[in-house]
Amino acid sequence: MSTLYSPNCSFSVNDSRLATSFSISSSESQDSQQRITVSSLPKRFHRQNLYLHSPRNQRRNAVRMEKGEVAATASFPANETPMTRFKDELLKIKSSEECKDVAGFDNEESAVTITVVGASGDLAKKKIFPALFHLYYEDCLPKHFTVFGYARSKMTDEEFRNMVSKTLTCRIDKRENCSEKMDEFLRRCFYHSGQYDSEENFVELDKKLREQEGGRISNRLYYLSIPPNIFIDAVRCASSSASSVNGWTRVIVEKPFGRDSESSAALTRGLKQYLEEDQIFRIDHYLGKELVENLSVLRFSNLIFEPLWSRQYIRNVQLIFSEDFGTEGRGGYFDHYGIIRDILQNHLLQILAIFAMETPVSLKAEDIRNEKVKVLRSMKPLLLENVAIGQYKSHTRGGITYPAYTDDKTVPKGSRTPTFAAAALFIDNARWDGVPFLMKAGKALHTKRAEIRVQFRHVPGNLYNKSFGTDLDQATNELVIRLQPDEAIYLKINNKVPGLGMRLDNSHLNLHYAARYSKEIPDAYERLLLDAIEGERRLFIRSDELDVAWELFTPVLKEMEEKKIIPEYYPYGSRGPVGAHYLAAKYNLRWGDMYV
Amino acid sequence: MARCYSRSSSATFLLPSSFKHEERISGRMLVLGRRYTTLIFRSYPSFHSRKQFEFKFSNGYPLNAVSLPDGLIGNSSTEEPFENRVEDGSVLLLEPGKAKSTLSITVVGASGDLARKKIFPALFALFYEDCLPEHFTIFGYGRSKMSDEELRNKISKTLTGRIDKRENCSDKMDQFLQRCFYYSGLYDSEENFSELDKKLKQKEGGRLPNRLFYLSIPPNIFVDVVRCASRCASSANGWTRVIVEKPFGRDSESSRELTRCFKQYVTEDQIFRIDHYLGKELVENLSVLRFSNLVFEPLWSRNYIRNVQLIFSEDFGTEGRGGYFDNYGIIRDIMQNHLLQILALFAMETPVSLHAEDIRNEKVKVLRSMRPLQIDDLIIGQYKGHLSGGKSYLGYTDDPTVPNDSLTPTFAAAALFVDNARWDGVPFLMKAGKALHNKGAEIRVQFRHVPGNLYKRNFGTDLDKATNELVIRVQPDEGIYLRINNKVPGLGMRLDRSDLNLLYKARYPKEIPDAYERLLLDAIEGECRLFIRSDEVDAAWALFTPLLNELEERKIAPELYPYGSSGPVGARNLAAKYNVRWGDLSDEDS
Repeated sequence: MSTLYSPNCSFSVNDSRLATSFSISSSESQDSQQRITVSSLPKRFHRQNLYLHSPRNQRRNAVRMEKGEVAATASFPANETPMTRFKDELLKIKSSEECKDVAGFDNEESAVTITVVGASGDLAKKKIFPALFHLYYEDCLPKHFTVFGYARSKMTDEEFRNMVSKTLTCRIDKRENCSEKMDEFLRRCFYHSGQYDSEENFVELDKKLREQEGGRISNRLYYLSIPPNIFIDAVRCASSSASSVNGWTRVIVEKPFGRDSESSAALTRGLKQYLEEDQIFRIDHYLGKELVENLSVLRFSNLIFEPLWSRQYIRNVQLIFSEDFGTEGRGGYFDHYGIIRDILQNHLLQILAIFAMETPVSLKAEDIRNEKVKVLRSMKPLLLENVAIGQYKSHTRGGITYPAYTDDKTVPKGSRTPTFAAAALFIDNARWDGVPFLMKAGKALHTKRAEIRVQFRHVPGNLYNKSFGTDLDQATNELVIRLQPDEAIYLKINNKVPGLGMRLDNSHLNLHYAARYSKEIPDAYERLLLDAIEGERRLFIRSDELDVAWELFTPVLKEMEEKKIIPEYYPYGSRGPVGAHYLAAKYNLRWGDMYV
Repeated sequence: MARCYSRSSSATFLLPSSFKHEERISGRMLVLGRRYTTLIFRSYPSFHSRKQFEFKFSNGYPLNAVSLPDGLIGNSSTEEPFENRVEDGSVLLLEPGKAKSTLSITVVGASGDLARKKIFPALFALFYEDCLPEHFTIFGYGRSKMSDEELRNKISKTLTGRIDKRENCSDKMDQFLQRCFYYSGLYDSEENFSELDKKLKQKEGGRLPNRLFYLSIPPNIFVDVVRCASRCASSANGWTRVIVEKPFGRDSESSRELTRCFKQYVTEDQIFRIDHYLGKELVENLSVLRFSNLVFEPLWSRNYIRNVQLIFSEDFGTEGRGGYFDNYGIIRDIMQNHLLQILALFAMETPVSLHAEDIRNEKVKVLRSMRPLQIDDLIIGQYKGHLSGGKSYLGYTDDPTVPNDSLTPTFAAAALFVDNARWDGVPFLMKAGKALHNKGAEIRVQFRHVPGNLYKRNFGTDLDKATNELVIRVQPDEGIYLRINNKVPGLGMRLDRSDLNLLYKARYPKEIPDAYERLLLDAIEGECRLFIRSDEVDAAWALFTPLLNELEERKIAPELYPYGSSGPVGARNLAAKYNVRWGDLSDEDS
């Protein structure tokens, strides 16, 4: 499997026979990746990189059909309505059980250290520490684990714990033991202050890590929650001075992964000087969202969707992301990137690739990522004429004045950075030829949501088309997968309005997560952190994926900058610029979210 | 449309001249489909409708016109309620010539159970919702002596039905009862029917009379009544139609004989054979689902569908009313008509249009493509007494109206096959029974398993449990749901079966009209889409008659099952023979 990205990987040997030398509990471990990577480059973390994917990985990908759930809907409810029945039979899976499923390993001999580089940053506080705590709370972390904060500011361990504790919350569904667990968790948190480019400081960190590891096999995960300009420095220092000697070392990198093809390639090159491809975990937290994960389940474990999943039945696909707030004083980073780089080129394009990919050979990371790359490589680079950009302007409503983007103090006055973009992309392969994939993302819009909308073609020779008139679009089926908020899947169907006449309406076949599943849905970061700890790369972005993704967007981004294209202004809190509608109309489409 | 049954009527010339009107009413475009005039010339002497001038008109929205209201596209939960066609502010459309016409509905067998429980309440509901023409009269006809007042008293008790809580109900009820009359007479007396005719004429007051006879009487007197009504009480210049209730015979021969006798007195298009299951909301919706959605039709074949299950169950037995039933049995009572009709609608090819004859043509094609049912593919059962919770339930043969040694099945399960290109090899499983543990009717479509399923590891050998299933629940608690495999939210990768759900109660706040309302209205409007044509009845009997004869000749004893159980084990074995499980029993299996 690793040979698939051999262009980036200098020399790797894949030998499953080595499996016999380790203690393997699962008979399936032949296909788990027992692997030795021998590298000839000098500056590597571990020249001999020994991976042991313990059986938990298998379990992770293994699918279990819940027996009790099959019976969920009885045929003829005598007294109870299906609604109440659902409520009664909401799935109550104990999360610890679930995690045993996931983390069925407990190697007494190994320790995992998670070092959050940039521990005082916003992301660390809001997402990473809470996610780690939840994983701990649900028994998903290995027995011996330590969390290290690393940043420039001086802080004691106690101060650090204080800071972290403020960010920790307990899940609503399991409040018991929470403070106890929190204390236990905090006791495993340490802080080390140092410069991001100082090897010395990292050597000190290494010492501290060793102390905590106490002679066990050490596995180390670095989470780079720092600005992109210091990515390489931190990676260099961590790799040369604080990498694991006998276990694995992995690095999680957050976006932005460059701002165009060249800078992204340079970044990758930089990372590769110190890391192997399979040590780099490029996080795209949208891929950790429950319903994005479910996308493949829907397609590949149901008979009824896959036959429809092509140009023959699908008229267009819409990927929609909207925020109902602007930059709000934090526009410094954003202004340098803009909405296309910030949302379209990564999050939405990744979802598109998963949506459109062919059936992979298996659910293994490389098989899936291979298929995703194929989709991206089949796509035409985005054309300027297929993009509409916008920027929000100030708007007064109900006595409140909302600021324009350029009113933000952190944004240059004359900024042309788009805060809204709509684009039409095409995949030139047999499955999707001619099907527009519309993307739309914007800040300061009227709603907050992310969803995938699949609009089907109209029924050929529709018997009931008399009164649909020219508006056949309104009568098409639509599959909507709402990623957030209020996760749901629904299929719009034409249905007869009950009554003596023959009127049709659009009704929904509905699956509302809140009504069906009582458990809280874990945050994307929890899933992704756990995956990184387990070495499951399925949801992380491989270098070649990233390259192709940039190739699609770089030309148009350059052109926009060269031509100094001015975004269309739209009022704060509106539905976005009209240009998005024209773009859809050009392909004879409508945005599905505009009807609600 | 009428040309399609020329096969069965000897010398009929039908000159359909149909045209469409479009009229703008209150700002909304209505397509008044298929208002046509049919002239029928007949050379038979005894036919009363020698010249039948037939105006199909509908109040408000015509049945076949479809309108998709704007603004309905939004969220299901937040949408405003829908209104029935007839309450849409729309509308009695009285056409110029139409104001002069009048409708008389004669319920023959007015004191019977069906009339009281279903027909009169349905007529009242139609009246309440302004679906009946301006001038209409209702006549009860029966042998018992009764005054008009007595009839009104009798029916007023059962009238309210689904609309008892609405405003004006009692006003409306009085108005309705004023239009109800009773005439007592014998079912085979032409004299009595002549007198009825006089009374009808009196009420019609010189307007163009249209007459509808509803035969709510035992089958042995069907023909007598039709003869008398046709000869002595049919409309002179309007239309005359006869609604007939099941049973339509008890095998091919008797059914054919019945049809032959009918045809002596009425033409095919005057006969409205009612199958009230076809009037059920979700059975009507079956075609809408298939033909107005893109997502279902591609799946609607042997390529994707593994089997189809048609399930009917009642949670009570004959309860002292087994006299009629014992002569017919569950196969004739439920399977050969209700379930088979649903099957035909389910499996038919796309019709040329939504016109009655086009649809019925397709249904007949399905029935004619089917293999006659084999005895190996059938299991029968009969409920026996059962003690549960300190209460004892009587067995079927304990019913005093049932012979002690009766072999009549109260439960049957069958596997049928449609030998055409679309359905070759797909078992259509039917199951119907009395005195079971639950009550309902549903259609279950089980899809095949996913070929090369990536997620199959832990499905193990039980791939069946992982298949998709589309369930259309006809009653009670109307709903449609599609079972899909879904990831259980959480960090692991576990799948479950969740439902994409459309529960009518939650989506449509309005009550769903009773099947009889729809069917009566259709009969009044001459819309015969939901009524069974003679050749359909023939084809349906052809499938079941050989088997029924064999059962009787060989005196095959039904398997006994306890009252209130899920039926005999044989049903499971039958399903297992085709490697199928009953969808409604899955909770017990798992």
